[in-house]
Amino acid sequence: MTEDRKKNNQSANDQDMMKLVDNLNRKEDVNLNRRAFLKASFGTTVALGLATTPFGVISAVRSEKEDSNQVEIASVDELAIGEAKNFNYPTEDEPAVLVRTPDDRYVAYNNKCTHLQCPVFYEKKDNVLLCPCHKGYFDVNNGHPVAGPPQRELPKILLEVKDGKVLAVGREYRHG
Amino acid sequence: MDKKRVSFLSIFVFLAINVISLSKVIEGFYGKEYGHVYSFMIVALISTGLATIAFFTWRKQEYKS
Repeated sequence: MTEDRKKNNQSANDQDMMKLVDNLNRKEDVNLNRRAFLKASFGTTVALGLATTPFGVISAVRSEKEDSNQVEIASVDELAIGEAKNFNYPTEDEPAVLVRTPDDRYVAYNNKCTHLQCPVFYEKKDNVLLCPCHKGYFDVNNGHPVAGPPQRELPKILLEVKDGKVLAVGREYRHG
Repeated sequence: MDKKRVSFLSIFVFLAINVISLSKVIEGFYGKEYGHVYSFMIVALISTGLATIAFFTWRKQEYKS
């Protein structure tokens, strides 16, 4: 009786072993191992590292173009204190506003609201830049949002006053 | 820790550095902060170079025997 049982157990074990062998996929076992994993990780590291270079090259080309872009916006006496003038900078598709502030300084910003791209206007009475679409207010001195839905500052146009002319010489997206 | 283990683990550190650098480069690129793009690109390239050195060091040790 016990002999039969032993034989039965033996054959069951053999069956189980055969199942285990059937479950082995030799190709996967060879390909997915520690060495292959490290090689794949190294390949990914190199690919990610090299993927940064096209962004760097395009940035260099773009910043070169923007650096050389100097545009005359207005003459010094064209705007009275508290007045504003619209212009386009650095391209014709990018509207901007030049303001002569009450403390007699020139400031300029791209005047697309950073909320939903509506045009921003200068409000002399409150000395703020106002986006009328959703009542977004920006500080005229630094272009940062002070009220309403906008979260980011307006891009700042860098200015130079030379020979009685106000010139736009560059642009900063993030500024103090 | 032996040389082989250090090389092995450092590749994963460089992988993490490159993931972060690439995300910062893309962020800087679309935010038009070109200064950030250059800095993180340089970090990524240096990290890639070091990862290459680490990989060949590991390979030399791994296949020595």
